[in-house]
Amino acid sequence: MSVTEAETLELDLDQPTGLWREAGKRLRRNKAAMIGAAIVLAFILLAIFAPLIAPYGPSERVGSLAAVPPGPSGEFLFGLDEQGRDLLSRVVFGTRLSLMVGLVSVVVGLSLGMLLGSIAGYVGGRVDNVIMRFMDLMLAFPAFLLAIGLVTVLGRGMWQIMLAIGIVQVPIFARLLRGSVLAQRQSDYVLAARSLGTPGRSILLGHILPNALAPVIVQATLAMATAIIEVAGLSFVGLGPQDPSLPEWGRILADNANRLQSAAHLVIFPGFAIVLSVLGINLLGDGLRESIDPRLDL
Amino acid sequence: MTRLTPPLPTDRPSPAEPVLSIRDLTVKFETRRRTVHAVNGITFDLHAGRTLGIVGESGSGKSVSALAMLGILPKTAKIGGQVLLDGTDLLGLSTADLRSRRGADIAMVFQDPMTSLNPVLTIGRQLTEALRAHLDMDRAEARAEAVRLLDRVGIPDASRRLDDYPHQFSGGMRQRVMIAIAISCRPKVLIADEPTTALDVTIQAQILELLDDLVRDEGMALILITHDLGVVAGVCERTNVMYAGRFVETGPTDDVFELPRHPYTHGLLASIPRLDADRATRLVPIDGLPPDLRDVPDHCAFAPRCPKVTEVCRTQVPRLEPQEVRDHHAACFHPTSIPVGEASA
Repeated sequence: MSVTEAETLELDLDQPTGLWREAGKRLRRNKAAMIGAAIVLAFILLAIFAPLIAPYGPSERVGSLAAVPPGPSGEFLFGLDEQGRDLLSRVVFGTRLSLMVGLVSVVVGLSLGMLLGSIAGYVGGRVDNVIMRFMDLMLAFPAFLLAIGLVTVLGRGMWQIMLAIGIVQVPIFARLLRGSVLAQRQSDYVLAARSLGTPGRSILLGHILPNALAPVIVQATLAMATAIIEVAGLSFVGLGPQDPSLPEWGRILADNANRLQSAAHLVIFPGFAIVLSVLGINLLGDGLRESIDPRLDL
Repeated sequence: MTRLTPPLPTDRPSPAEPVLSIRDLTVKFETRRRTVHAVNGITFDLHAGRTLGIVGESGSGKSVSALAMLGILPKTAKIGGQVLLDGTDLLGLSTADLRSRRGADIAMVFQDPMTSLNPVLTIGRQLTEALRAHLDMDRAEARAEAVRLLDRVGIPDASRRLDDYPHQFSGGMRQRVMIAIAISCRPKVLIADEPTTALDVTIQAQILELLDDLVRDEGMALILITHDLGVVAGVCERTNVMYAGRFVETGPTDDVFELPRHPYTHGLLASIPRLDADRATRLVPIDGLPPDLRDVPDHCAFAPRCPKVTEVCRTQVPRLEPQEVRDHHAACFHPTSIPVGEASA
């Protein structure tokens, strides 16, 4: 057994590490992804500690009503809006809303999409056909139009909007999962697991899904960015959360779109918040894609 | 390849009942456009502690037969005949019953250890899966047994390697892990489908030695499927040669190798390079290609490639007929009687 001993010795040279830890290492080496992660982290902290960071409340009136509200100054970093509210505070509190919409809608889209996609891919046949044709039907509508339609049907509450944006994302996740599951289902380790009498459910949940998950995580990150844009878009066209006191970024934009020439700061700052958060999430998502892409593995 | 251990004498009395009996197994794949007849009626018995080699070229139906015995072919496959494991016909069992026998009573080692292990699960997790499912062990018991199994298949420092991932093992080590998984529930029959094809030659010998040991120690029956005649010569007591979904020659390995009766077997043996042969000796290839399996031929499937073909070969299917040596059968109307190497090219 001297040959086998030599083999092990050689393999002991690299530390025992899991696939995910390897991916984490690659991610940390990726500068763009780290910048993205820093941005995302900053927004998350902003959302959590909004009451501590924001100098005023989101609806608190700190200046007078003004047709042309004052721009950024030493006292009010982002300036005031036409009702005399501090814009910085509104943008900071708006972070909570945007991140929550992103998170909840992705959870909705991901769980429904994963369920449908993995069933379609694993069961196949007619079930696959019915599910996937329905997904195709949903994809035939432009995403934003579908979201508008769903909001009209479901109502304009906060949760309804998150649900609508989540549902729009279902077909994307379902397709992704189905493709992944189909590819993994053909693999040798699935045949090997079947040859041992592993039940179908355990093969799907224990063997196939963990292998199919990498692209889903990436897509989930990117879907969060889309969700933030979509909720801002819905607010912009007047279908956002009805509560006027909620400082939604898209809503601030919409309310002040006609003041672009007289008080540009009212559009620039919330717009910048949307761009920056989406950019951060996308950078992180792309980095994740590169670090856990199985083709780059070993 | 030299023989690893002398084979058991083939005239040793067999236990009364074979552990595995295959009766007229057929497999065809039906799609809307065409039907492929992959296996066209194979029959054999296998006793505990014995090794059977199934040899044939790609597409001869070796692997499909194995998958059919385990019942893990895709749904498009139509399987006929009987697979009797300890007297129970596996093909007649319900899906759930069959699943409870797979892994527990009959298990398989696959060709490529690089892809047959799940890359995202630790080998400990993969080893304990069958143990927990079939033998009802709890986590701690299963882990202890997993360590014992890794130790048994010759993986050093077994307890420490349980939480490693497949990519941290070399090819030979992975195949050892695959074998450990396959034997984890002490199956009565182990099918090894090209277990050494993807490995280095030095590792090949180790893996074959391991399989040979397991058959001796655990009393398992082993079916070794391969295209490598050297592998069969080293390990198997009996050899069945498969061509176009049928056995064309069966018998004790020594007899089949020394005096092959079927022209196909003869051709296979003549096409192997030999170290002890004169440099001037040319290898003799078998001309032509294996037949298209869209139709079951109603004649000898080897006829189009056979040097000794006559009219009867083109009109009738030869049956396995007994030859001079006991248990040696060949399906040929014109069995050869010249040892390999002396035949005219």
